[in-house]
Amino acid sequence: MKLRKKYIILLLLGSLICTISIAFTTVLEKTDEVSAVLLTKERVFEAGNTIVLDFKLSIPVRTQLFIHSSFGSNVIDSDKQNTAHFVVPEFMAKKKGLVSYTLLGESGSLYEGEIRIISNTKTKVHLESYIGPPSIIAGGEDYTMQIIVPTDSYDNPLPDSTAVLIRHQFLDIEKESILQSKDMIGWVNIFSYDQSGRILLFSKVGGTVSKEFSVEVYPSLPENFEIRSNRKHAYADGNQITEFITSIIKDEYGNIVSDGSLVKFIIKDAKGLLLHTQGSTVNGQAVGKILHPDHKDTWQIKAYVPGMAESNTLTIAYTQVLDDFEVKFDNDNREITIGPLVSFMEQLTSDGTIVKIDVFKDNQKIETKIKTSSQGLVRFLLQDGFYASGNYDIQIKALGVQKEFKNIKLR
Amino acid sequence: MDKTTNKYLISALLIGVVFHGATIFFTLESTYDALIHLFFGNHYANNWFEPWNYSWYTGFTVMGYPPLVHQSIGLFSYIGGLKFGLFTVAIIAIILFITGIYRFALVLTSNRKVAGYTAILAVFSSAFIETLHIFGQLPSIIGLSILLHALPEIYLWLKIGKYKYLLNALSLLAVTVTSHHVTPIFGMVFFIFPLIGMVIMDVSREKAGSYKEIRFLMFLQSFLSLFKRIVGFGFGSLLLIIVCILPYWINTKNNPITQVPIPHGSRDNFFEVTSSGLVFFLIPWGILLFLLPYIWYRFYSKRYLFFGLSITLLTILGTGGTTPIPRIMLGENAFNILTLDRFTLWASIMALPMFGEFSYRFIEGDLKQKIQEKYGGVYHRILGGLFTGVLVFTTFFTMSLGYFRPSQPQKIKMLPILNFLSQDQHDQWRYLPLGFGDQMAWLSAQTKAMTVDGNYHSARRLPELTTRAVERLENSKFRGVEGIGSLQQFLTVPEKYNLKYVFSNDKFYDPILYFCGWQRLRQLENGIMVWEKLNVPPLSSILPKEDVPTFQKLMWGLIPLCTVLLAFIINIQLIWVHALKSRYKSFPVYFKFGIHYKEFQKSIFKASYLWGFLMLIFTGYGFYLIYIKNVKQIHPVNVTESYYDALDFKEFERAYSYLDPKSNKTMDQYMLEVAVTDGLLSSYAKLNEINVDIIAQTDSTAKAKVITYWITPLEKIEKIFYHKLVKYGKKWFVKPLPYDLDIPPDQLFAENITAFYNHGRRRVSSEQTYHEDVLKQPVLEVLSAKIIECSDQYSLIGEIQNIDNIPADVVITGTLYNSNDEKLARYNAKHQMKHKLMPKEITSFRINFEGIAWIDKEDHKPKTFDPDQFTAMKFDEKPAKFNLQCAGNVTTVDLYKGVAINELSINNDHVEGVLFNSGLEEVTIPLLLVSYYNKDHELVWVDHQYLPEGIRPQRKQYFDYQLLDLSGVNTINKDLKNVFVNGLLNTLISDKVVPSRKVEHQSAQFLPIEGKGFSYIKFEINTYIGAPN
Repeated sequence: MKLRKKYIILLLLGSLICTISIAFTTVLEKTDEVSAVLLTKERVFEAGNTIVLDFKLSIPVRTQLFIHSSFGSNVIDSDKQNTAHFVVPEFMAKKKGLVSYTLLGESGSLYEGEIRIISNTKTKVHLESYIGPPSIIAGGEDYTMQIIVPTDSYDNPLPDSTAVLIRHQFLDIEKESILQSKDMIGWVNIFSYDQSGRILLFSKVGGTVSKEFSVEVYPSLPENFEIRSNRKHAYADGNQITEFITSIIKDEYGNIVSDGSLVKFIIKDAKGLLLHTQGSTVNGQAVGKILHPDHKDTWQIKAYVPGMAESNTLTIAYTQVLDDFEVKFDNDNREITIGPLVSFMEQLTSDGTIVKIDVFKDNQKIETKIKTSSQGLVRFLLQDGFYASGNYDIQIKALGVQKEFKNIKLR
Repeated sequence: MDKTTNKYLISALLIGVVFHGATIFFTLESTYDALIHLFFGNHYANNWFEPWNYSWYTGFTVMGYPPLVHQSIGLFSYIGGLKFGLFTVAIIAIILFITGIYRFALVLTSNRKVAGYTAILAVFSSAFIETLHIFGQLPSIIGLSILLHALPEIYLWLKIGKYKYLLNALSLLAVTVTSHHVTPIFGMVFFIFPLIGMVIMDVSREKAGSYKEIRFLMFLQSFLSLFKRIVGFGFGSLLLIIVCILPYWINTKNNPITQVPIPHGSRDNFFEVTSSGLVFFLIPWGILLFLLPYIWYRFYSKRYLFFGLSITLLTILGTGGTTPIPRIMLGENAFNILTLDRFTLWASIMALPMFGEFSYRFIEGDLKQKIQEKYGGVYHRILGGLFTGVLVFTTFFTMSLGYFRPSQPQKIKMLPILNFLSQDQHDQWRYLPLGFGDQMAWLSAQTKAMTVDGNYHSARRLPELTTRAVERLENSKFRGVEGIGSLQQFLTVPEKYNLKYVFSNDKFYDPILYFCGWQRLRQLENGIMVWEKLNVPPLSSILPKEDVPTFQKLMWGLIPLCTVLLAFIINIQLIWVHALKSRYKSFPVYFKFGIHYKEFQKSIFKASYLWGFLMLIFTGYGFYLIYIKNVKQIHPVNVTESYYDALDFKEFERAYSYLDPKSNKTMDQYMLEVAVTDGLLSSYAKLNEINVDIIAQTDSTAKAKVITYWITPLEKIEKIFYHKLVKYGKKWFVKPLPYDLDIPPDQLFAENITAFYNHGRRRVSSEQTYHEDVLKQPVLEVLSAKIIECSDQYSLIGEIQNIDNIPADVVITGTLYNSNDEKLARYNAKHQMKHKLMPKEITSFRINFEGIAWIDKEDHKPKTFDPDQFTAMKFDEKPAKFNLQCAGNVTTVDLYKGVAINELSINNDHVEGVLFNSGLEEVTIPLLLVSYYNKDHELVWVDHQYLPEGIRPQRKQYFDYQLLDLSGVNTINKDLKNVFVNGLLNTLISDKVVPSRKVEHQSAQFLPIEGKGFSYIKFEINTYIGAPN
């Protein structure tokens, strides 16, 4: 058994040595850790330039770089195997803002840091500008806003306090001022002047100029105005046209109101009823047209731009064209001829004069007939079959004259 | 075995393919249905496995119609375009039909010659011609044809019991199922059941020796012996019907058809509506009407007994509403959903073999002998000539029906519309065609733009459409209140459907478009007018759809064509054998049961004669009635009605012929007078009803009071005319009405007007419109707005002014809320406002809250047409607050303001007056807007009145307005705090833009009238100009 003991000791010893050596080697390996140091000195880059991040590794191992910017996140590989030389992709290098990065080794993060990309002032400046609203009202209360966003050629806004030159022209005014951009934009409110017209605007940053913008300045609310009338004669013939014409309607600053503004002419007749016509302005003047009445009447006319402006009251009178007309009864009084209707110079009235007859029997109205004149004459037929024989009363109205015939006998 | 090819069949096929194949190019596209199938075909060509279609009805599923025919069109369209697909499928349908009817005749009569005759006659069958060339029902034809092909196989399976035949039969049935769903279901009842009966009869005969000795017990025994096969077949076919179009059934269950029944001519009483009688009874039966006794006699022989019952049923069902029987048999529901013309079609197709048999017997059989013996050879030939003549006549008549009485508008060139839709992003909105007929489907098939309308009404989902019996919005004028009412809802609230463009092919709709706030864009080179609505948002890029599981999509996409492939493979052997006779094969077993045409039954011979004569008398009487109807001047009532009829159809020369020849009115003068009258009544109205009362009459004169009811797109007009009539000789004449002799003062006159032009995009760019090209929205100001309650109906009324310097198109949307701020209703102002405002112009407006008509089943629909019919929305709760959203958009058109009120007089509750057109445009339809105010100068109501006649420049027009009784009107809320203009608060705008408003100006226009519930009124005028200079 001696032999056995010896063997056992040897075996134990051997295994002990083995264990110790294994333990030692593992510990040694653990102490051998990879570290990285950033070699690149710059922390701030201009947009569009190549951005290289170079790291020095204590032991050459395979690494990757995780980068995160406002544009998104990305993982890029090193240029060469087992080095840490990274080129930030162009699309990220072109965008202004903070870029954070993490160098990744096999076992995890080796280095973390941030770089900043700023807009590239060496490139040509681009301008983005907006104007709105495109139309405002004269008088200095309404305004439009001009906004300018100066950027570099990669569309990165230029840093705050970039000088922006703005200029606008209105009539013979040309104004210029310099803005300092703030929070990426430069903006200004441009108030209207007292005159209507068109403001042209422009802006400039560095050597770059914007295109021309225009803002329409419309006249303000209309002021009271005058009206006059225009007619061919003063007779109430129911045929000619009377025109009502406004003076040139202006706003409080003397601008002619914009074309198309609607003016309403309200006409009060002798009975107090309201007629109306309307016209829209052309160069400030509106014209309303209406037919002459067909009976004696006096009209009071007042024009309105409702809620905003009104005119004087105009009074015009129409005189009757005839005092009387002939009425002839034929064919057992069944055929009634009215006329000739003679107008103011003894001419026949123009065709279309309305003649109305009311037929009464026993004080009951049976029928109203309306016909229009032709050659100054109107003929009514009271046919037998429809009008039994007997006595009828007939009332005839034309051009404001009313005639009555009692007890007309039809046979 | 006879190895020769059947020369009759070959000639039938040749004639059929050449005759129908050549003519479909002139008929098929103007049929009712063909273009719908084309549209579906296009859908499958583009999205084979996607059942959802966005083009129509704000999206619908194509799983509502069996897909085989549509898929075939789609498949063929890959080769030569959609129309190629359509015509190819149509030609296939023709071939299938002729061969199908041949095989059906063969199994029925067991005589190849008779079957051949049948095939030839089938080519000229008026029912088939009508179905193909007038209705364009391809799936129906294909379904029926395949069913006919299946019948012999079913017979053989039942008789012999070989599984091969069952397989053949079922494979063909599967094709039927996937091409048309109604055909196999009813085909089971009307074709297959009688066939089964016939097989049982044949089996019984084999046992009994002759048909005469078959008794019921024996029949029952045979039935029991065949029971297993019948049941096997029955279950097989049931399984096919369910499985082959399973997605269809699932869809039917999930989306039950909510559509209210749409009137169809086949449900009319054919005596009342003779045109329906012609189309749905006389034409499909055609020459068969003369042979009814023979057909019925033969079908009621013992062998065909069940066919006899079947054809009787079909005939009765096909008579529609003429007798109450179909309604009782089908039940109210089915009666209103099914179109009954298909029953007549099936009946006439079923009768064809008997017609073939008759012809065979007449041309070369026992009937010929009998006639020749009895009356001689010449008589036989004359009779033959007569028959041929009638056959040719019915064929010509049916074919030309679509030519002489077109069911469709003229063919429209689609290219300009397609170009318009694809330009400038116009397809980002929905469009609506009007007056296109079924061609709207062809338009939809070619554009990716979507429409709110559609042409397959079972698939509709919008309640605005399903609750109304409207076939399409496009032809809504033919459907009266439901049509125009439905259309008005879409035109008033187009934002809801993203509807921006209307293509109008019918000027009838122009006034309603105008008064709903639409404006004309331009006329395309094909004459179609494009109307546009401002302030409509474009469609969102993601649209809702109802998805179905993938297995359904796969089934729907794959099964139909597989059934065709399977049927083709299984039956190809059969076709080879039948067509080419290349291999020896014995006659099918049904050949045993043919009868020998030896002795033509005497009684039936006589009955046929009698019937023939009766039919001739009927025809003669019909022609006589038509003649009588055309005699017009025998009575004062007659001539007045004829006069208005002529005016209604714009046949002015005919109208002139009814005028008193001694009245000094020349034809030229009359035509001139007609030419210068324009307006709602003379240009946009259709006479609906006319009542002529003779109020006084002597021997030679009469005075008539004519009450006319006119339908216009805007409202129903009742107008009374008085006419004097005279009699010369035997004829009555109408005395011409006096004509307005008014002479305008100026021959030539000038006027300065302001006209506007908006460039839209100043730069030609496919991108979004440039920022600086976008104009500012015109600023509006709401002067007053309030909720008004009037006998449980609520309206929003108010006044709005364009306070900007540019003309504005105004859209006003009102929303009502209850006191808990819950939304109750939302609608737009329709025609009670001026939609286009010049700078500083004011309009009153009223918003009516329109509900969806007849959403309750109990509500009764009006029987007659009334486009002005209004369905008020039902409010469960009382509205307490409102929100008003007004949008102004720059407009440059429809700004005519040339009409003045020239004269007024107030008589009790009437205001009479004269309008005078002082400007340069001819006003087609003047609209009076009447605002009512109370004594505190507050608006209480807004009313409107259309004037029936137009006003030419420098002319007058009279009006008579009846004042309303407003004592029952209450103001509920007049708080302007929730009123917005272009998204901004109205109060802010009025403070800023018009801070010192002169409110007294408003009341300066008030006409003082002490009325019921009001103290003042104000008139405003809106004008529709039909043809702007």
